Amino acid sequence: MKLNRRNFLSLGVGVVAGTTLSPLPWKLMDDVSIWTQNWPWTPVPPDGEVTYEKSVCTLCPGGCGITVRKIDDRAVKIEGIEGHPVNDGGVCLLGLSGLQLLYGPTRIKSPLKRVGERGEGKWQTISWNQALTEVAVKLGELRSNDRSHTVACISGSDQGTVPGLLNRFLTAYGSPNYIRTPSIHDSYEIALSLMHGGQSSAGFDVENADFVLSFGSGIIDGWMSPVRMIKANSIWKNEKSKVVQIEPRLSNTAAKSDTWVPIKPGTDAALALGLAHVIIKESLYNKDFVEKYAFDFNAFKTIVLESFGPDDVAKITGVDKKTILSLAKQFAGASKPLAICGRGQGKTPGSIDEVAAVHALNALVGNINKPGGVWAVSQPDYIKWPEVQMDAVASSGMKRERVDGAGSEKFPNANYLLNRWVGAVNSSKESPVQALFITDANPCYTLSDTSVVKKAFDRIPFVVSFSSNINETALNADLILPSHASLERYEDVPLSAGLTKSVIALSKPVVKPQFNTKHVGDVIIEIAKKLGGSIEEAFPWDDYETCLKATLGDKWDALVENGYWSDPDFGVPPWEGAFATGSMKFEFLGVVRARGGEKDVQAKHLFTPVTIEGNEKSYPLTLIPYDSLRLANGSIGDPPFAIKTVEDTVLKHKDVFIEMNPETAEAYDISEGDYAVLNTPKGKARVKIHLFDGIMPGLVAMPTGLGHTGPDEYLAGKGINFNELIGPVEDADFGLDVVWGIRANLTKA
Amino acid sequence: MDSALIPKGVKRCSLGLFTLGIAVAGAVLLWGVYAMLLCWIKGLNQTNMNDYYGFALWIWADLAVIALGGGAFFTGFLRYVIGKDELKNIINYAVIIGFICYSSALLILAIDVGQPLRSWFIFWHANVHSMLTEVAFCLSCYFVVLIIEFIPLILENRQLDKVPFFHNLSHNMHEVMAIFAATGAFLSFFHQGSMGGIAGVLYGRPFGSREGLLVWPWTFFLFTWSAAACGPCFTILVTWITEKITKKKLVKDNVIRLLAKISGWMLATYIIAKIIDTWYWATVTAPSMGFTLMDFYSNNAFYGIWILVLEIFVCGVIPALILITKTGRNNSKLLMTAVILAVIGVCINRWVMVLQMMAMPVLTFENWVLYLPSWQEVATTILPVAYGVIVLALSYRYLPVFPQEKELNPID
Amino acid sequence: MKKEHKHENTKKFGMVIDLDKCTGCGACMVACMAENNVPFKKDESDKLDSITWICVYKLTNGKSFPDTEICYLPRPCMHCSGIGEHGHSPCVSVCPATATDYDHTTGIVSQIYTRCFGCRYCMAACPYHARYFNWWDPVWPEGMEKSLNPDVSPRMRGVVEKCSFCFHRYQAAMDKAYTEGRRELEEDEYQTACTQACPAGAITFGDLDNPDHKVYELKKSPNAFRLLERLKTNPKVYYLSSRDWVRKAGDNYLEAESKVKKKIV
Ligand SMILES: Nc1nc2c(c(=O)[nH]1)N[C@H]1C(S)=C(S)[C@@H](COP(=O)(O)OP(=O)(O)OC[C@H]3O[C@@H](n4cnc5c(=O)[nH]c(N)nc54)[C@H](O)[C@@H]3O)O[C@H]1N2
Ligand SMILES: Nc1nc2c(c(=O)[nH]1)N[C@H]1C(S)=C(S)[C@@H](COP(=O)(O)OP(=O)(O)OC[C@H]3O[C@@H](n4cnc5c(=O)[nH]c(N)nc54)[C@H](O)[C@@H]3O)O[C@H]1N2
Ligand code: SF4
Ligand code: SF4
Ligand code: SF4
Ligand code: SF4
Ligand code: SF4
Ligand SMILES: [Mo]
Repeated sequence: MKLNRRNFLSLGVGVVAGTTLSPLPWKLMDDVSIWTQNWPWTPVPPDGEVTYEKSVCTLCPGGCGITVRKIDDRAVKIEGIEGHPVNDGGVCLLGLSGLQLLYGPTRIKSPLKRVGERGEGKWQTISWNQALTEVAVKLGELRSNDRSHTVACISGSDQGTVPGLLNRFLTAYGSPNYIRTPSIHDSYEIALSLMHGGQSSAGFDVENADFVLSFGSGIIDGWMSPVRMIKANSIWKNEKSKVVQIEPRLSNTAAKSDTWVPIKPGTDAALALGLAHVIIKESLYNKDFVEKYAFDFNAFKTIVLESFGPDDVAKITGVDKKTILSLAKQFAGASKPLAICGRGQGKTPGSIDEVAAVHALNALVGNINKPGGVWAVSQPDYIKWPEVQMDAVASSGMKRERVDGAGSEKFPNANYLLNRWVGAVNSSKESPVQALFITDANPCYTLSDTSVVKKAFDRIPFVVSFSSNINETALNADLILPSHASLERYEDVPLSAGLTKSVIALSKPVVKPQFNTKHVGDVIIEIAKKLGGSIEEAFPWDDYETCLKATLGDKWDALVENGYWSDPDFGVPPWEGAFATGSMKFEFLGVVRARGGEKDVQAKHLFTPVTIEGNEKSYPLTLIPYDSLRLANGSIGDPPFAIKTVEDTVLKHKDVFIEMNPETAEAYDISEGDYAVLNTPKGKARVKIHLFDGIMPGLVAMPTGLGHTGPDEYLAGKGINFNELIGPVEDADFGLDVVWGIRANLTKA
Repeated sequence: MDSALIPKGVKRCSLGLFTLGIAVAGAVLLWGVYAMLLCWIKGLNQTNMNDYYGFALWIWADLAVIALGGGAFFTGFLRYVIGKDELKNIINYAVIIGFICYSSALLILAIDVGQPLRSWFIFWHANVHSMLTEVAFCLSCYFVVLIIEFIPLILENRQLDKVPFFHNLSHNMHEVMAIFAATGAFLSFFHQGSMGGIAGVLYGRPFGSREGLLVWPWTFFLFTWSAAACGPCFTILVTWITEKITKKKLVKDNVIRLLAKISGWMLATYIIAKIIDTWYWATVTAPSMGFTLMDFYSNNAFYGIWILVLEIFVCGVIPALILITKTGRNNSKLLMTAVILAVIGVCINRWVMVLQMMAMPVLTFENWVLYLPSWQEVATTILPVAYGVIVLALSYRYLPVFPQEKELNPID
Repeated sequence: MKKEHKHENTKKFGMVIDLDKCTGCGACMVACMAENNVPFKKDESDKLDSITWICVYKLTNGKSFPDTEICYLPRPCMHCSGIGEHGHSPCVSVCPATATDYDHTTGIVSQIYTRCFGCRYCMAACPYHARYFNWWDPVWPEGMEKSLNPDVSPRMRGVVEKCSFCFHRYQAAMDKAYTEGRRELEEDEYQTACTQACPAGAITFGDLDNPDHKVYELKKSPNAFRLLERLKTNPKVYYLSSRDWVRKAGDNYLEAESKVKKKIV
């Protein structure tokens, strides 16, 4: 056949028609769409057998009971344990994001040794044997030079077997320098020891209170045990209990309260004393408690009546007299009133005067160790290990004064003073700390004035981190001995964040360790064995699990079964015999006496405003931090899910917003979304402005929890770390960091 | 060089000049194709659309281009169904413009969907309640009609016509063209309406939502009506531009004026209906949902009340008045002003029915959102323009598009 | 006869969210993300393209210091049953490919990702912005895909997704009931992930038509309202608030009807 134009065209038409009518195009169309439904780059999670494993969330001190849904050996979802004494089924967004930390690429996959400069992030992977040997060699060296006391350990907790083993190790080795990271618990513990006597932590029976007077506590913003507090808040709504929130900014807690009382920041103690004045003056206090169980009510009464009249207090606090009178009457008139403090999430100790004044209010209405009140709770006492047999080096090391000065003549009441520790490391010619171990803490991020903290780290020749995920502090270490993540290990977790029960939870290996990590407990035991002698002898266990089972004894089975153990006999002591002070009574002026105001009690002993850094002329504004559950501000930063919930008026791309009253903004000729440079005596930051009617004019507020340098692109580099803009302010008598804000100025950028 | 392909008895510019023009349009076309490939390969993240602006520039372009392409069905309807014979002198061009508009619309839709390879699900899993289903079916069917209407014209190319098969085919197709034109008009009435229905049925969107007749909201009828009114204006406009570029008269004034007159009456009646619709919407529909008219037009200058004034009065009432008066039609400046205003007016209407509707918050605690298209969106929206220019240029050069051209431009 | 039969076999699942209790903590958002394999990007601060099936809005009363008030409002899909409860939800009736559908036995508005071809008409139709488009391919950082839930398939780029009332949990509960020879579920057998996680217990989920379920009474509270009721979308998510301005913020009112000024944060 000759291929002429006509044939060619007919052929073309034929081919087109034929193909169209054949199944081919239809089949192809179908196949292509099936392909789009199964793109190989969109994962298909494998199915399998469903099981649940109970454990505890350790992402914050809250200690919620969790049950982890597994598909074969994969953990796929974290849920709350119903009926759990802390969270009864609820979980917060951080806990819900836990698997992103477990499986995320921010995990440290094996022991790492620094090869570049500190903080540069250059690491060499080493074996566990090499890592532990290097630690043992370093520790051996220090010890043989009689410098065992220059070894320190910073930890997020001092309860449970892991902190116990660490502390025990330091004792056997010869160092008193075990330090817990600071928080409101420090102030509560000191206040309780001075007002109640003995060692206890504050428990709050929030569920049963019917009138809650909160001095800035972020009850539903992460204070104490976040989920439990939110649950309590719902109970209050059901029971029509009243909540009064006192703070200069309309936080979520203030927004959910029945009454929001804006107050000049830093003057809360004065308001508490003003309320005490009214309660005493109008004779609304609990006479039974005050007369029988209080030691120094009359002295307290005299000074409060003299110096804290509503007019004066109104002037100091900016809260009007009518409100003061009405609050006092409502508080005293309630059947189960509860006064609490600890600013925001309580991440800084804050003023002890404030804790003392607020606690005095509870005492006035007799709501101590009572349903709906504040309880002095002693920690579960289940760790019964044989006493450490110290050798000569250890004994002499343990006699040395702590680097942070806690427990010294100057600060006899403090247990831990990490803020002073930083100062001490920086101020001596040679660092008093030659080796540092860090676990469960991220001080390079969480301590205020981070640049000074980093300087202190630079002066310590040997820094070891146990972190299981990359964080700012681990980045500044020489050696990382990565711990199993909490979902990969056994560990007892005594719950104490404001709880009025004695509960121990058990963290369980829900999944097998994903990487070449090791339990901190095992690391300690192995190092002890390498060091030998009395140190080795202090650790008679083969491994951590043996130690843990032996320590928990008959509680073990219940812990494995339920994920927690609760002391069935737990109760608070009645007033009779509850107080272990010198007078064996409640001491209203316990804190005042510790301040040296024993003889001539003056108003200044009860309340001296904490002066924040910066003068008013160059820094006309006051910068305060604010905490939010959507922004984890502890050692763990927001995982991807959590950061996704942050509003675009808090963070937009890389920029953080500071909140400002429209009235203040007008004075600065600044509008919503404008860029500005925020200056404080400690630092400077480029921020964006969010106009917010709920903040007191003259203040600006910045969220905590941003400005991370790690661990991944989902979090790093977003916003500013508030701690870079603020420095600690030390309480002269107790050594704690009492800072609540800093002065600032603003220029439009 | 290509003179063998050029229709007899007409003059065309040199091949070099022509190639140059095509090259310029081709460059723009390639830019658009590049953006289109980006959207297909990388996905719709290449656009600035978002979850609040799920419909944006493209859907506007789609609606606008279909409204403008309405010249084809309406002129066809007038020519073949009503029997306005003079219109045979412009029907070819109207069909080509329609073909370009509809093929562009289909292309834009293929870029606009997130899963273009599955877009046939619209036919396979069709939901009869959806206006978009109606659009898809009618649009595709009508596009086939347009192809059928375009083919005989292509076959009239001097060389193709020499093939007896094509010659006969073309002839026979002409014979039955009235049937196709009528089918096309019917389909068009529907899909133009469905396009209007798209916004009108959104009872969750008070800006677009309209009451109506049976399952059709008033916008259904308004869209058909406005496309019938303004589509021919676009045909006139494109013809006029072609005349300016070729520096030739191609269609006699009486033809243009007839079309303009019909358009004018369509526009006048449409704009009356539109005013009644707006009034009813502003005083009855919107208040029943808790809105006042000004809620739709305040907040930002971009979507101020000016846009309603511009659409209805400047681009509706004014051109209608010009076109229905003889003096208006006979004054070519006035005529062209009216035609341009009408074209702008229908585009604004489609614009607000897509973009303003998306911009406006419905929940009381949400805010207006505004969006700026990305360059990829702009490029893919200009792509059809370049494509249209090329198709028009090729058609004009090689096909006997304008029956009156020879008569009006005799070569000595 | 037919009516009775119908009543027995059809459910109307819905929610009552107590805004007095909701603290804005965001746990519901994350519970939903974790349960439903919701993807995330490196920057999620552009809320116009950030997928959160349940989104917690922050409302204010628009007053200046110190009279300012805030209320949080979590917004899942409302599972609108449309005018006359016929199942013509704004979004369902417009979907050209039947990729989203109204299930008359549960009242749940489904979304079939593999059928959706991404025309986004449903998004335009939903006045609650409850629908989200996958503008990007979902990407899980290395290792994190281990935490994906096999009961909910991860979505591919180019399709729309939204809250399903955790429909997979309903299916699982029904499967279990059937193997146990039951045809009815107890109230607590089918609960959504957000309800379960909410620390405040602010979300109550159940069959709105079943007098034994808590939602049945709760929805009748004088403090109950729904969002944009005037549009006749007929949502199955109710809200409770003791505050007048919050209830007013649920809908649009003409000035003559209300003195409450609209205000957005
Ligand atoms: N989303 C989110 N939520 C958070 C956070 C977050 O970052 N994100 N942060 C969380 C954090 S870090 C905090 S601090 C909270 C509030 O945090 P807290 O509830 O303050 O938690 P911890 O400070 O870990 O509590 C340690 C407990 O050990 C007790 N304790 C320690 N030593 C002793 C002792 O010698 N004797 C006695 N009797 N008791 C002792 C203390 O009293 C205290 O109760 O908010 C938490 N919530
Ligand atoms: N200026 C200022 N300073 C502060 C505060 C403040 O608000 N402002 N807050 C204080 C308070 S309350 C606190 S709690 C601290 C917060 O900081 P920390 O007390 O330091 O926080 P933690 O959560 O106790 O520590 C968690 C660490 O453990 C790691 N980790 C995560 N999972 C696991 C695991 O499974 N096993 C082990 N071994 N490690 C794991 C993390 O990577 C991280 O390094 O900062 C304190 N300091
Ligand atoms: S409150 Fe704390 S312990 Fe509870 S789930 Fe959240 S992070 Fe975990
Ligand atoms: S989890 Fe509960 S309290 Fe938290 S934002 Fe959601 S609904 Fe509100
Ligand atoms: S809320 Fe939106 S997506 Fe959900 S059913 Fe209603 S219209 Fe559809
Ligand atoms: S985007 Fe998907 S679900 Fe929505 S209307 Fe289009 S096809 Fe239907
Ligand atoms: S019901 Fe399920 S899908 Fe819907 S928002 Fe809640 S968790 Fe997400
Ligand atoms: Mo803490």
